[in-house]
Amino acid sequence: MRLVHALLGKSIAETILLGGLAISFFFVAFPPHFRGWGEATPQGIAGWAINSSAPGQRVQVQLFIDDRFVSSAVANTYRPDVREAGWAPDDWHGYSFVLPSLPAGPHIARIYALHESGGGARQTLLLLGDPIHFVTDQSGAISASK
Amino acid sequence: MISTTSNPDRNIVLWEIVSVLISCLIAQWTIHTFAGQFKWVGAVPIVLAIGLMLFSHWERGENLKDLGFRFDNFLPALRLLLLPTAIAIVLVILGSWWWSESGFSLRQPGWRFFLVPLWALVQQYGLQGFINRRAQLAVGPGLKSASIVGLAFCILHLPSLLLGVLALIGGFVWGKVYQREPNIFAVALSHTLVSMALSLSIPKDYANELRIGFKYFGMLI
Repeated sequence: MRLVHALLGKSIAETILLGGLAISFFFVAFPPHFRGWGEATPQGIAGWAINSSAPGQRVQVQLFIDDRFVSSAVANTYRPDVREAGWAPDDWHGYSFVLPSLPAGPHIARIYALHESGGGARQTLLLLGDPIHFVTDQSGAISASK
Repeated sequence: MISTTSNPDRNIVLWEIVSVLISCLIAQWTIHTFAGQFKWVGAVPIVLAIGLMLFSHWERGENLKDLGFRFDNFLPALRLLLLPTAIAIVLVILGSWWWSESGFSLRQPGWRFFLVPLWALVQQYGLQGFINRRAQLAVGPGLKSASIVGLAFCILHLPSLLLGVLALIGGFVWGKVYQREPNIFAVALSHTLVSMALSLSIPKDYANELRIGFKYFGMLI
């Protein structure tokens, strides 16, 4: 019976260890301090991105449309509203992407912040804001968004 | 010879084997994947496994001699191991020569090489002194329990196919010999000689430098 207790105790200890490892790995690889927002504009997808643990840092962002990689950029364009809202100490955290040619119809864009950990050897993508739903017409321009 | 246990105890015995194997797999696969720079965390499941094994020996009244830490049967055990060890070494060297594209040569041993005997002793204690003895308690001595030992050793060497197959055969043979002459030092010596032959002769780019577990696939970060 004492052996069963030892086996149970060991199993519980290992479960806690694995749970702790998974949680700590999550916070290292997917830290919850990236903030951002994006919208569909007549010219493409635009928004802002900040790293609240390093507010002066320019965040690298990536655009995916319909789960396919489209383009990468650094969020360093003029967005005074970000500073005014208290998110960043300066005005330079905006980004904008020109849309590639897309078939007419509904699409979903997602903006991810690129985060490096493990001394730069590991890269992860963190979703910024909500997915952006938009519709393109025959000419490829955005005809509607929500 | 160890007599087979009753049914409820058999389940506990099998649980003991699985529990120790899982600890090793946690250290091999998840620590290297998730722990990043805190690789010392890998010692936690190993310490837990060793703690469980020691407690189990104590609970079952096993002493060092029972486990095979003895010298009275060292030579008989060595005699049983001589032929299979020699065959294994010859096959390893022949295989390495066959796979060497740029000419066969033995490598210079590094400092880690001198830890092989100690590492082999630790592995054989876990494999024979614990898993083999527990397998015999569960299914009795013979092919079944020796196969459990081989299978356990094979699982711990995955995903390397070459090492997995060698460990399956080696674990089985050492398991059979240990059941006839339970001596950890003799099987550890055989293990050391085969490991040395393998690590010195096999081409470096073959079998992914003998890596196992998560290290087989990826870089540690």
